[in-house]
Amino acid sequence: MTKSKNPARDAIEAILTGYEKLGYVSDEQIATALFLAQKLEKPLLVEGPPGVGKTELAKATAEYLGLDMIRLQCYEGLDESKALYAWQYGKQLLYTQVLKEKLGDVMQGAATLDESMNRLGGFEDVFFSEQFLQTRPLLQALQSENGTVLLIDEIDKSDDEFEAFLLEILSDYQISIPELGTVKAKVPPLVFLTSNNTREIGDALKRRCLHLYIPFPDAARENNILQARVPELDDTLRGHIVDFVQAVRDMDLKKPPAVSETIDWARTVVLLNMAVLDSEFVKNTLNVLLKFKSDIENVEGELARLMRETQMTPDTPIQ
Amino acid sequence: MIADFLRILRAADIQVSPAEAIDAAAVIDEIGMGDRTLLKHALGHSLAKTEFEKQAFEECFESYFMPPDMKIGMPDNAAANDDAGDAADESAPGDAQEADGHPDAQDGEAQDGDAQGGQPQGGDAQGNATGGKPSGGAEAEADISGAPQSLLEMVENRDTAALQSAMADAATLVGLANAKLFTQQGMFSRRILEQMGLTEFDRRVREMAEGGETDRAEALKAGRAQLFDAVFDFVERQIAMRTKNAGRLLREDALSRIRLTNLDKSDMKIMRGLIQRLAKRLASRHSRRRKKAQRGMLDIRRTMRANVAYDGNLFELAWRRTKIDRPKLIVLCDVSGSVAAVSRFFLMFLYSLDEVMPKTRSFVFSNRAGEISDMMKQGDMDEVMEQALRQFGGGSTDYGMSLMDLAEATLDDIDKKTTVMVLGDARSNYGDPGHLVLKEMHERAARVIWLNPEPESTWGTGDSEMKRLGAYCTHTKVCNSVKHVERVLDDLLRLGS
Repeated sequence: MTKSKNPARDAIEAILTGYEKLGYVSDEQIATALFLAQKLEKPLLVEGPPGVGKTELAKATAEYLGLDMIRLQCYEGLDESKALYAWQYGKQLLYTQVLKEKLGDVMQGAATLDESMNRLGGFEDVFFSEQFLQTRPLLQALQSENGTVLLIDEIDKSDDEFEAFLLEILSDYQISIPELGTVKAKVPPLVFLTSNNTREIGDALKRRCLHLYIPFPDAARENNILQARVPELDDTLRGHIVDFVQAVRDMDLKKPPAVSETIDWARTVVLLNMAVLDSEFVKNTLNVLLKFKSDIENVEGELARLMRETQMTPDTPIQ
Repeated sequence: MIADFLRILRAADIQVSPAEAIDAAAVIDEIGMGDRTLLKHALGHSLAKTEFEKQAFEECFESYFMPPDMKIGMPDNAAANDDAGDAADESAPGDAQEADGHPDAQDGEAQDGDAQGGQPQGGDAQGNATGGKPSGGAEAEADISGAPQSLLEMVENRDTAALQSAMADAATLVGLANAKLFTQQGMFSRRILEQMGLTEFDRRVREMAEGGETDRAEALKAGRAQLFDAVFDFVERQIAMRTKNAGRLLREDALSRIRLTNLDKSDMKIMRGLIQRLAKRLASRHSRRRKKAQRGMLDIRRTMRANVAYDGNLFELAWRRTKIDRPKLIVLCDVSGSVAAVSRFFLMFLYSLDEVMPKTRSFVFSNRAGEISDMMKQGDMDEVMEQALRQFGGGSTDYGMSLMDLAEATLDDIDKKTTVMVLGDARSNYGDPGHLVLKEMHERAARVIWLNPEPESTWGTGDSEMKRLGAYCTHTKVCNSVKHVERVLDDLLRLGS
């Protein structure tokens, strides 16, 4: 078959290499999703276990596109006054005070009540104006001149109400402020939403997004990631680390080690200047890789087997 | 094409909204249909939004958009009678490739040689054929099949792409999407062929044969046979794709209505999947109602903000939202004899709802009651049920004792937010039915719900104490199918605490 030159394919290849240069090793799935998110101007909902680089993806995108990144961390109880805007009521109060004092001057010479009302009406309504508006991440993203990368992190941690509130922003890139009217994005921001799936995201939200699931990487990709992130590490050691982590991930653990933990562990190896990974070292540094006591005990029990399988030298005494 | 694919996705239990359909169209617009893996990833991102859906999507995609080389080799290699020499040259590499899969391609090659020998004659015949024919016929045909060529030309020129699209168009026209049964396969194949202009094709081949162009006619006949195979294959695949899930859905629907006591062992697996899905649906429906604004603590910040407009006078008060408690549930299940099957599914369902009802305590009993909440939380359902049966099953049912046990363990916990549920047939073997204990619980709890797997007509007959026990229940309900269980739990969640 003669494959017709596909511009989309080229763009995706470009994204792949571009991200790789920035130290984010993606794959075709991820690149396709990024390409579509840009082209269709749709938010991208990124799901996956913690530590596979969901947030990192947004950061890399901002760097790749040369845009600012605005990050909104979700948590239970987050509401629009923290996410979107708030009125600076301190200033507003001051303004009313000032207004009161000036009122006499303004109203001077007004014969009737009607006339003074008319005069008052002639003034701009400054009270609810952008002067007193405290912008929060979402509004900042909409008002930005050059477009931004907006990261709404861990959306699953927020309340249902907040999720519903996001819908308007995500579908039309605009937001209604009751006192001011509708604010529309000058340049639609590129929106990333991340979720660890601690709760099911509503269908309405999902429908408005492209969906990307990032699983734990396979050995080859993890190797590439380590190479990009911890270039000081030598090749054989990196291979061992990746094999070991992959094997650990296959075990039944409370929280299997993610990519970020692998990177931390690799950094530890570099920091301690280890030439080989022996069981003593692995045992001592398991806490970098695993975050639960029961998990650590679990893996310690299996350590000999794991070391054998990954062909590391199990019983070299520490020098 | 897209619409058809979406229909298949929907049949496979993937929820595709019109908005997402538009997205899909935009996606195809953006990346084109040429690159298969790219298309798969891209459509996957925009259509499948959960892990379950991703899997289903993959399956559907694989079977709908067949890998290209499998698709193309089919109808064209028999149509070896090439009038134009250069056309043959052009498609030569293609032939070589296809020859692997299809033994008849060899014959085709041989005929190719013959045909080239008799090229001028063939060219004449072609001229005759088109000239002699009322060209309106050919055009009408082309309109119907949606392709600019007639079937004859397509077969003759091995225009696979055109044949493919003609086939797909014809399939739409004859309503293949509505095919439901395998027995319809023959009929639909025939209809598609006719729609593609088979009658016309046959007539012209006959004319050719009579007019002395036997070689060409033979080649076309071979092409026709190939076309038949291709269409048949296409129809088979399409029907299989559509019915695979329909069958499963039909079965699940039946299973959700069947009495749990009559359930066959072989259906257990489907049942478990079904329950999990129903539970998920229930959980997602109710997770959005968990919270309500309540009067409580004054939210000073929000109050201030709301009242700036009134010069700081507190006209409007804003209250801190408080989380309303999720229903507290105490369940007592009979695990003796016939009720055990229902209990099992009830508990299974209940624990799939862990997300929305985390405060559930469950007890099972036959003669004495025992708590299995902790077991349920961690264990595999089958194992837990077996263990529970070993531990608490056996012995004749004793409602009096069991309710007493339950009261002893939980009475202090029962408050105005608690729902007590009892699942049992209320047949106490003429012993103490324990209605006094139930009365006490009823007084304390928000609700007492009795679920009885027996039909209402048998309540109160023989040793059934349903009438007496029912007096101290807020609701009594028949519960013997998954549908019932779902409804009961749905009501429970809706009422909240």
